[in-house]
Amino acid sequence: GNMAKTGAAPVDEIMRYAEYSPKTNIRSDAEIDRRLVSVRVVVGRYAFQLWKPLGQAFSETVKKMPSAGFSSYYKGGFEQKMSRREAGLILGVSPAATKTKVREAHRRIMVLNHPDKGGSPYLAAKINEAKDLMEKETRR
Amino acid sequence: MAKYLAQIVVMGVQVVGRAFARALQQEYAASQAAARARGRSGQQSAAASSITGMSLQEAQQILNVSTLSPEEIQKSYEHLFKVNEKSVGGSFYLQSKVVRAKERLDEELNIQKQEQNQQSQQNPET
Repeated sequence: GNMAKTGAAPVDEIMRYAEYSPKTNIRSDAEIDRRLVSVRVVVGRYAFQLWKPLGQAFSETVKKMPSAGFSSYYKGGFEQKMSRREAGLILGVSPAATKTKVREAHRRIMVLNHPDKGGSPYLAAKINEAKDLMEKETRR
Repeated sequence: MAKYLAQIVVMGVQVVGRAFARALQQEYAASQAAARARGRSGQQSAAASSITGMSLQEAQQILNVSTLSPEEIQKSYEHLFKVNEKSVGGSFYLQSKVVRAKERLDEELNIQKQEQNQQSQQNPET
């Protein structure tokens, strides 16, 4: 599946912060070089300190993720922008399905997932979106 | 007599002052440790979202739970898992998302429990 945007953002922010280096005053070239070297060393050390806990968090979490029994299910969340392929998977029809088949599948899946019967509004929205997307490009 | 009384009062004030300073120091250390624990659990939450490819927010939306109540989560999961069974004409893809959402929320509950355990270790009197 795709990486959720909110999940990837914190890692990017940490990387950007690690690359930040403070501005130096105009000095002699030798002095500037010495300063830059020491700044790089400080930034490098700090970056390592930022990475270490995040790396630990990663390995701790990976160890705890269930492995057996769940591997046949599709991984990850929904696609950020629904594709025709995903729409077909949601409705349980082939991407080349006819309009009738799409309508039929939509009705069936929606009845099962109806919010009025304890279904999830978010899933219902995805089901409707899938139908709209399939119907947009279907000619038959 | 007054001189001795004065001495006792001064010593008393010093003892209280020192005890108060020590208490302040301990409070500060405890709150710093708590902040570190929250920071750690925030990182773990971000890591879980990244590894599973599902954010906490999406997991809550899929299972339609506003709070991380284990009972609410279990009830919603069981219903949504059942209605999306392939054998009754449901969508295996949707069922998968329901499963992954439950996994993600279980992981979040774990992370929160760890943070609470660490905090209670810092504050044994609470």
